[in-house]
Amino acid sequence: MGTTIDISYWGLGIGMLLLLVPICFFHRFKTGLVKATVVGAVRMVVQLFLIGIYLKYLFLWDNPWINFLWVFIMVYVATETALSRTRLKRSILMLPLIVGFLASAILVGLYFLGVVLQLDNIFGAQYMIPIFGILMGNMLSSNVIALNTFYTNLMRDRQLYYYLLGNGASRFEAIAPFVREAIIKAFSPAIANMAVMGLVALPGTMIGQILGGSSPNVAIKYQMMIIVITVAASILSLMITLWLGTRKTFDAYGCIRQVFKE
Amino acid sequence: MLRIENLSIRFGQTTLFTDMNLHVKRGEVVCLTGSSGCGKTTLLKAVMGFATPCQGSISVDGFQLTPHTATFIRHRVAWMPQGLSLPCEWVREMVGLPFDLRVNRGAGFSEETLLQHFDALGLDKGLLDKRLHEISGGQRQRILLAITAMQEKPLILLDEPTSALDPASTQKVLQFIQRLPFSNGGRAILTVSHDTAFMEGCDRRVVMG
Repeated sequence: MGTTIDISYWGLGIGMLLLLVPICFFHRFKTGLVKATVVGAVRMVVQLFLIGIYLKYLFLWDNPWINFLWVFIMVYVATETALSRTRLKRSILMLPLIVGFLASAILVGLYFLGVVLQLDNIFGAQYMIPIFGILMGNMLSSNVIALNTFYTNLMRDRQLYYYLLGNGASRFEAIAPFVREAIIKAFSPAIANMAVMGLVALPGTMIGQILGGSSPNVAIKYQMMIIVITVAASILSLMITLWLGTRKTFDAYGCIRQVFKE
Repeated sequence: MLRIENLSIRFGQTTLFTDMNLHVKRGEVVCLTGSSGCGKTTLLKAVMGFATPCQGSISVDGFQLTPHTATFIRHRVAWMPQGLSLPCEWVREMVGLPFDLRVNRGAGFSEETLLQHFDALGLDKGLLDKRLHEISGGQRQRILLAITAMQEKPLILLDEPTSALDPASTQKVLQFIQRLPFSNGGRAILTVSHDTAFMEGCDRRVVMG
């Protein structure tokens, strides 16, 4: 396999012009998405360039402590993002989210690096940073969907919660219908995606590896593992977050506290 | 069975009631009545720990309600809330909800018993296979009463069990409730109602407010 062809800055600029296509349609149909798209695109360019510089040094130094520091930063940023997207109170979910993200990323990430890949140095930047990064991204999106679904439904259908509790349900039994809905909503897309993988779409990791010079045989194996570890880490982080979060969601008698920001 | 002593409940600056005393024995149907907003529903909720008193105590079966005993007390309670709207599509789904709980598995859900209750309450057996939005508020109320009765709990709390019923159906519900204290080794019934005909059929009436 050959090496990856670099994209020149001129080429990158020409490529970015394609963004004008969605912007035109967003404008034509008065969607109100033009400003958000432009701001999003500018943020993406700036953030990725900065991350590119940071990653360059991260790989150059290849220091486990610095790598872990980067993981902590990712966890913190993911927690802040989840809190702002769900509008849930910081006092209720900040710590559960941090513990959920960190514990799941470490457990699943190191299992993959140490047991599956059997790397000599599982804390090496080349593998650790991308794997933890992809885990964090997937955990964040599934947690945001699941937590939004769980807390919105719990507040909307609180009658069901109290009815079950009042008729003798344990707290676990009373929240089980809401957890079930949250899991279904957050994980159905991933499961549907898994079923059509390779047929309807070629996934990002696989394309990245093939473009990077790996053989398709290696790329598909990585892709399979990425799908499995992201789903495993996502459900694990959600369960930890809910387990810890529900302790603060209810008072001593099991009554629901105000969980959303005023 | 249920003992309420010197109970006061306040929400913010509003006092719902003060120094409430009530004792409901097994084999007895007690009806709480009073003007709207006097705290009847809140009193039922307080028995399960869903409203916190500012003074006084609540005991069920000799156990005083605290955060540690709340689950134990709820294991002894079957509760039919007022105007309950559950996110279920089918009547059968709603009926099964309390019987999926571990505490009620011993009661063993029996469709035969449920249909006997349906018959006693003037409900058609075909309702069981209908969608929830296809049945009336009065039918829903009586179905909930049937599944509350089936839970075999010693303390039954009913919030306005006849509010959506015509006089004939109210009489059927009353006769059904009058039989409950003598089932399952004796049960205590505490109900809330504004319905005069219903109240007259209860063993005791307690006016709040």
